[in-house]
Amino acid sequence: MINGNLKATYAADEQVLNNAYKRAFVYGMALLCAALPFVANDYIILVAAQMGIILIAVVGVNVVIGYTGLLSLGHAAFIAIGAYSIPILHTLFASLGVPEGIMPFLAIPLAVAISALVGIVVGLPSLRVKGLYLAVATLSANFIVIFLIELDAMAPYTGGFNGINTPEANLLGWQLDTQREMFALIAALAFVTILGVQNLFRTRVGRAFIAIRERDYSAEVLGISLLRYKLLSFAISAACCGLAGALFAYFYARILPEQFELVLSLQLVAALIVGGMGRTMGPVFGVIIVVMVPELLKYSFGIIAGGSADVAALRAPVQEIVFGALIIIFLMFEPLGITQIVDRGFRSLNRWPFARG
Amino acid sequence: MGQFVQFTLNGLLAGTIYALIAVGIVSVYKATRVVNFAHGYMIMFGAYFYYTFAVLLPGLELMPSWLAKWEPDWLIAARENAPMFSPMGAVLDWVSNLPRIIFGITGAVIACAILGRMIERMLMRPMIGQSSFAMIMITVGLISVLSGAKGLIWTADAAFVPHIAPNAPVRFELFGNPVFLFGADLANAAIAVILFTAIVLWVRYSKGGVAIRATAEDQQTAYSMGISVPAVFGRAWVLAAATGAIAGAILATRNGVSPSLGLFGFSVLAIVLMGGLDSYVGVFIAALMVGFLEAMAQWQLGGEWAEVVPYIAVLIVILIRPHGLLGQKEVERI
Repeated sequence: MINGNLKATYAADEQVLNNAYKRAFVYGMALLCAALPFVANDYIILVAAQMGIILIAVVGVNVVIGYTGLLSLGHAAFIAIGAYSIPILHTLFASLGVPEGIMPFLAIPLAVAISALVGIVVGLPSLRVKGLYLAVATLSANFIVIFLIELDAMAPYTGGFNGINTPEANLLGWQLDTQREMFALIAALAFVTILGVQNLFRTRVGRAFIAIRERDYSAEVLGISLLRYKLLSFAISAACCGLAGALFAYFYARILPEQFELVLSLQLVAALIVGGMGRTMGPVFGVIIVVMVPELLKYSFGIIAGGSADVAALRAPVQEIVFGALIIIFLMFEPLGITQIVDRGFRSLNRWPFARG
Repeated sequence: MGQFVQFTLNGLLAGTIYALIAVGIVSVYKATRVVNFAHGYMIMFGAYFYYTFAVLLPGLELMPSWLAKWEPDWLIAARENAPMFSPMGAVLDWVSNLPRIIFGITGAVIACAILGRMIERMLMRPMIGQSSFAMIMITVGLISVLSGAKGLIWTADAAFVPHIAPNAPVRFELFGNPVFLFGADLANAAIAVILFTAIVLWVRYSKGGVAIRATAEDQQTAYSMGISVPAVFGRAWVLAAATGAIAGAILATRNGVSPSLGLFGFSVLAIVLMGGLDSYVGVFIAALMVGFLEAMAQWQLGGEWAEVVPYIAVLIVILIRPHGLLGQKEVERI
């Protein structure tokens, strides 16, 4: 709770950024992201771009798990579809003679749309089954999508096991051939996604999602069509993941099917749980942790190991353990995630020096 | 037709192993209402424990030599008389491996049971009374922890482990078709079916089993009738881990010891949902069905199709029957 947050008009109450803290934070972050490409070194840009891509995906996962309460363990499949759409669409456009400068403007929306459609198909079981059954249904979808990508019959389009080279984005003649330029695009789209989703939860649709999360049968009694809103929720989250996938394909020179396996789905869920489910800032905090943990491990192993290959080989298992432990520790001790810890901090700051807690 | 019979039998034999793995997931679900996503990784640990106790430890210097290779005089004499590549030779090989097989299985079951007990005490018991979502997500986190821990403890991949039963080829005629099977596969299937039946009977008739079923029905009532619910939870996890260890040992002899054994857990999870989470019989049917379908896919479409069969089958089944083949429909009150 934030006190001193009085509103004099309805318009003020309905704003997306409805208090000074949010405004300050969002404008501050926007300034920081705008300044970053000019001041940061390559390493920081790389990490920040990775964060941006995963952030877009986790925001999508948040819609379906955090707000609609449908447990999904297969969202890496949508990222895969978004990512693989890009090289396929680019070859298609090239054969149709579309100029290269406007390809991304067509390819990104199409990739997002394809992901959303697949999302609707994967979401279909959510009408019949709930909770666990849905988790396994989405998990199955993830395995099936990866299998189809690796299938020999699809190899001419997807490259099969060996992956496929991805094109660079060319925005009206501006070739985004460095990671710094890609970062600008990723940051802009990440802001759009996160504000768009935040905006969604001021509307009828977002409230319907939350009603379904609280009790789906009660929501249905209140006149919310479960069919429409559950599928819509899946479509929106799949669209976000598709966008993340499309940016992933533009950002890296090559994509491999193994990058989109269960590990990635679990990473998305880990980020969401660590950050805080059903909160706008949850994905942001979660993604910072999930991306920073491997980097910190890399750094600390570099110091410990020096150059020894034996110690360095232990980094991957340790990283896995840390991810799992993060999920478990947060679920056991702070199920509402970092957002809750931050909230608590802000609350005591806000009331200082009077009450605590 | 001959091929069909051969592949069907192979599939059904594989299906019994799936059933043995599935019994662990179903037991934990029945008692605690938690679906253990990490069961496959517990099985992987079972396989690695078997590898440790049957291969690594007997190979150490300080262990008695009969543990690694038991060769009494009569065995050597019998082996010299036996013709090459005969079923008798396979049996004699098995006999000389017998001490380390027994040592391996016992060690794997005990180590895995301790692991299951630890998971239950440290991760599940503090969560009693919390939402089942949190408990399930903890098992999801456990996937990463176990798979990482495996990487820290055991570095060898795809190692050889001794077969549990003599691996003599078995040839016979079925409906006029020649069939060729491995003795170890038959024995594994027999072990799986016996264990599965024993657990079902135990849950049905024994005192501890009735306590599990009572807890599944209603935790509060079970508590007030004098059943120690935490003890039931612990028992279910130990049961799941112990059967998982045996299943892991069997899988290790079939596919070699490798981290990919963990992925078996997901296909078995699909099988469990297909059969119905709380129905042993349904799960057994589903396991045999998936085993059969996998063998058919392998025969007609090629090996790589076999691995997605469980996932496609579960999607079809839960779209038609949302609670699985024989699962109980949940009644929800608003």
